[in-house]
Amino acid sequence: MAQLTRDDIIRLASLARLDLSDEEITHFSVELSKILDYVEQLQGVDVTGLEPTSQVTGLLNVQRDDEIKSYGYDPIVLLENVPEVEDNQIKVRRVL
Amino acid sequence: MVSSDVRNKYKVTIGIECHVQLKTKSKLFSGADNDAKVASPNTLVNHIDFGLPGALPVVNKEAIHLASRAAFALGTQPQLFSKFDRKHYFYPDLPMGYQITQFDLPIVVGGGVAIEVGGEKLVIGVTRAHLEADAGKSIHPPGKDYTLVDLNRAGTPLLEIVSEPDMHSPEEAKAYVQELYLLMKYADVSEANLYYGNMRFDVNVSVSQTDELGTRTETKNLNSFRSVEKAAEYEINRQIELLEKGNTIAQETRGWGEAKQKTLSQRGKEEAHDYRYMPDPDLPPVTLSPEYIDSVKQEMPLMPGQWRDLLEPLGLTFDQIESLIEAEVDHTSISYLSLLKNDLQNKDQVIGTANMMINTEIPLRREGNLPEISGEQRARIYNELDDLLQAKQLSSTAAKSLLGDLLAATDTPEDIKAFAEGKGYIQISDSNEITNFVKSVIADNPKAVEELKAGETKVIGFLVGQVMKLSKGKANPGLAQDLIKQELGL
Repeated sequence: MAQLTRDDIIRLASLARLDLSDEEITHFSVELSKILDYVEQLQGVDVTGLEPTSQVTGLLNVQRDDEIKSYGYDPIVLLENVPEVEDNQIKVRRVL
Repeated sequence: MVSSDVRNKYKVTIGIECHVQLKTKSKLFSGADNDAKVASPNTLVNHIDFGLPGALPVVNKEAIHLASRAAFALGTQPQLFSKFDRKHYFYPDLPMGYQITQFDLPIVVGGGVAIEVGGEKLVIGVTRAHLEADAGKSIHPPGKDYTLVDLNRAGTPLLEIVSEPDMHSPEEAKAYVQELYLLMKYADVSEANLYYGNMRFDVNVSVSQTDELGTRTETKNLNSFRSVEKAAEYEINRQIELLEKGNTIAQETRGWGEAKQKTLSQRGKEEAHDYRYMPDPDLPPVTLSPEYIDSVKQEMPLMPGQWRDLLEPLGLTFDQIESLIEAEVDHTSISYLSLLKNDLQNKDQVIGTANMMINTEIPLRREGNLPEISGEQRARIYNELDDLLQAKQLSSTAAKSLLGDLLAATDTPEDIKAFAEGKGYIQISDSNEITNFVKSVIADNPKAVEELKAGETKVIGFLVGQVMKLSKGKANPGLAQDLIKQELGL
């Protein structure tokens, strides 16, 4: 029976850049523990001789030729989704 | 600076990670133009590079091809099976919130880079090399409280080459990155332009007095061979000084301050990274067939190590060979090595021709004063120059000037000897003609002649000088000396 502590949840939230309320922390420590239990159950399955699965599509080698491609729109429209722009650059809180 | 006595107590261990920008036309997972050198911000981008929901990355075939070439350059071959993974972290220049990279099954595993330091040959092991997408570029305007992000570079294909911790001095670290540069250039997988950051180095350094490795620091984002050497040197000294004072080394990321020539702590007490790697479900694995791997092997040009093996038996010195090997990558259309190996008419001229390249052609080309002429033209120039030198019709000084003139012409003259005559480079090697000069010099310098006859052998140099002057520099000086002795019965 897995038991994630409040500290575990706070650390996970900070790695995921999520701001959780006290209530949510309590909620997720229970919920995520249950998910871990499920994973533990999966870990009990005997997988001897099975190749690890890194893809479920069954596809291999989906590749494109090295060509510059226009996707039919001016890249500038991408900046319309950006909260703040200066000189066509994405403006964010200072990081250094 | 620690004394060499103190320094010698410690074993230094260095490992290097190198990000090589691959020279594809488009990005690793999107069709955006990969040449972000001069483009305006956020013009070489699309929904894939921006990481918009639902965008589907598709891997660039050429990036796989170039990584396969790099595998051979590193002395191994690409893996039959490799896959892409997501490495999660948050930074504004990483719009998806994860970097697409290769975690446990990279395209290159193993390999080595041969170096020579102080006459000692070593092989630095390569742990692995994996494909990954570059992040965007952050600009931090001075005095402002914000950062600006340009995603033109986001998604550029990188090959990250990870070395084993096999280096034990700053000199070895420098030799390794220099050789890695040559390998990437010869394999033609990267522009490898250091100025534009096409190759960036992270240097891991630790020191220890025991067999156990010490705590390491990583100095990130070095962009020159010299800064790799200097940063390693600085870190070794800094760490030894700390340990000598009884302090401990903090495992941390540091940056290199070019202005102050020192490393600086970049992130303080960093949260241990938890990248939560997972296979990227958008990208099916890459398998390479043995036939494909073999076809890449067949197309590989000679690597620097192979050239060294070919040139050494021809009698060239280590320094000559290294000068030529380095110059080989200066221009795509000018080859020194293949000319020396394949196009000389006379095997004895290799050393002479190599010296002319090193002393004349390479410096002139680096000054940017010469047109790029064909290999056939250059071979003809060097071969005819050798003929003229063998026939003693050119002095070495004149040969150098003539070579400069010939290489400067887009159209090489049909008759090189006539061209040299027209320019006044051909020396007079006709005995009768020189004897006339010798006779009048003897007649005009009775005092010197007496001294010479009396055994003042040095005076002959003066007389030869007079013959050269009279012939306007065109007499063959060796022949003039012989004829002076002959005339005076010496």
